Amino acid sequence: MLALPPLAAEPIFNIGSFTVTNTYINSTLTVFLFIVVGFLIQRSVKDVPRGIQNFFESIIETLLGYFDQVTGDRKKSLKFLPLVGSLFLFILISNWLGILPGIGSIGINKVVHGELEFIPLFRPANTDLNLTLAMAISGVVLSHIIGVFTIGFFKYFNKFIKLSDVWHAFKSKKVMVIFTAFIEFMVGFLEIISEAAKMVSLSLRLFGNIFAGEVLLTVLASIVAYVIPLPFLALELLVGLIQATVFSLLVLTYITVATLPVHGHGDSHGKAKAAH
Amino acid sequence: MMNEILQILIPVAHAAEAQAAEAANSSVTALFGLDWKLFIAQLFNFAIVLIVLWRWVFKPLGAKLEQRTAKIEKSIKEAQEIQDQLKQVEQYRKAEMEKIRGEATEIVAKAQKTAEMNKDQIIAEAKKSAEKVLEQSKKELASEKEKLLIEVREEAATLVVAATEKILREKLDSKRDVELIKESLKGLR
Repeated sequence: MLALPPLAAEPIFNIGSFTVTNTYINSTLTVFLFIVVGFLIQRSVKDVPRGIQNFFESIIETLLGYFDQVTGDRKKSLKFLPLVGSLFLFILISNWLGILPGIGSIGINKVVHGELEFIPLFRPANTDLNLTLAMAISGVVLSHIIGVFTIGFFKYFNKFIKLSDVWHAFKSKKVMVIFTAFIEFMVGFLEIISEAAKMVSLSLRLFGNIFAGEVLLTVLASIVAYVIPLPFLALELLVGLIQATVFSLLVLTYITVATLPVHGHGDSHGKAKAAH
Repeated sequence: MMNEILQILIPVAHAAEAQAAEAANSSVTALFGLDWKLFIAQLFNFAIVLIVLWRWVFKPLGAKLEQRTAKIEKSIKEAQEIQDQLKQVEQYRKAEMEKIRGEATEIVAKAQKTAEMNKDQIIAEAKKSAEKVLEQSKKELASEKEKLLIEVREEAATLVVAATEKILREKLDSKRDVELIKESLKGLR
């Protein structure tokens, strides 16, 4: 019988009480890859770029070009580059690693629930909700931290719990203004809910896309092993890139909106909604 | 053909059904394999990537890119400045040359004018002095003539007187004497 990959990552072995899953193996491999490449780059940063430095500089230039379209400011783009660029590269490389032959096909036979099942040793890292959720939560949480540091705690706090807006409205003693402030106050609560929604949508979008790709490839490979899966493999390359771009640019949008000055918040609502 | 494809798809459907049944029986966290230990581990993995890329890639390369941009901008600006300065120098040189040329023509014109003036003056002076000399010599000539004439007259008179005396001494008759005087006076006029 054909075995579709389950939604949850499969455990391979245990280190103490920690269960190592196949997606965790993949993400750790990706981490090692980044450590090696990072080490090579930092060792040989020169004024006149050569080889690997040149390659990475061109990537950074391209990324900054896209970031500028969101932030509208090269300085801001450079400031947010480490977080957003890391997200982009990590997602992109782990997605593309997941398409390599051997990922999903090299595995062990293991007894699960009393049945002998084939468990792949490697599985695309982003087909694990743990990882996508970890990245989504760190992205959103860091966007708030950056926001607080940029515009100050009370101003930032007032974006969500609009006590000062209500206070100013009552001081003005106009019915319409008080009414509007009350609605804005309620909208503030919606904002809080939407923050949670951001994390869920980010993590599930990435997980769903990559997981669906993995299922699609598995099914196709089990029907016709040769040639037919090729265009789908190419499609998966594209999906990997698109999902990495979507994830990182959304996080960048969140950070940009979080660092906007408070007076522009009416505008920021529109931007945040357009991004969803 | 259609049948064959369906035949192939049947196991896929079965597998999906099995998974759906499993999903229905478990909670969301179990279904997605959410586990706080794995979550922390994956978070840690991402943190390592973040720190590695930050420290070793984005920070140094970003700084280098900025530096290079600044350097190129500075170079272009400096080149522009040098060009501007060169233009200014060229303009200054041209203006100076123009000025000098103007001054030179002015000097030449002045010199010519002065020379012209001098020439006229010299000629005028020469003329004047020549006239003076001419006048002087005319005057002198006239006075000389006068003197000469006076002298001649005096000489003639003495001569006449002497001749008369001589004639008188040679016992001239009175008739002859008068005649002689008359004659000699006639000759003098």
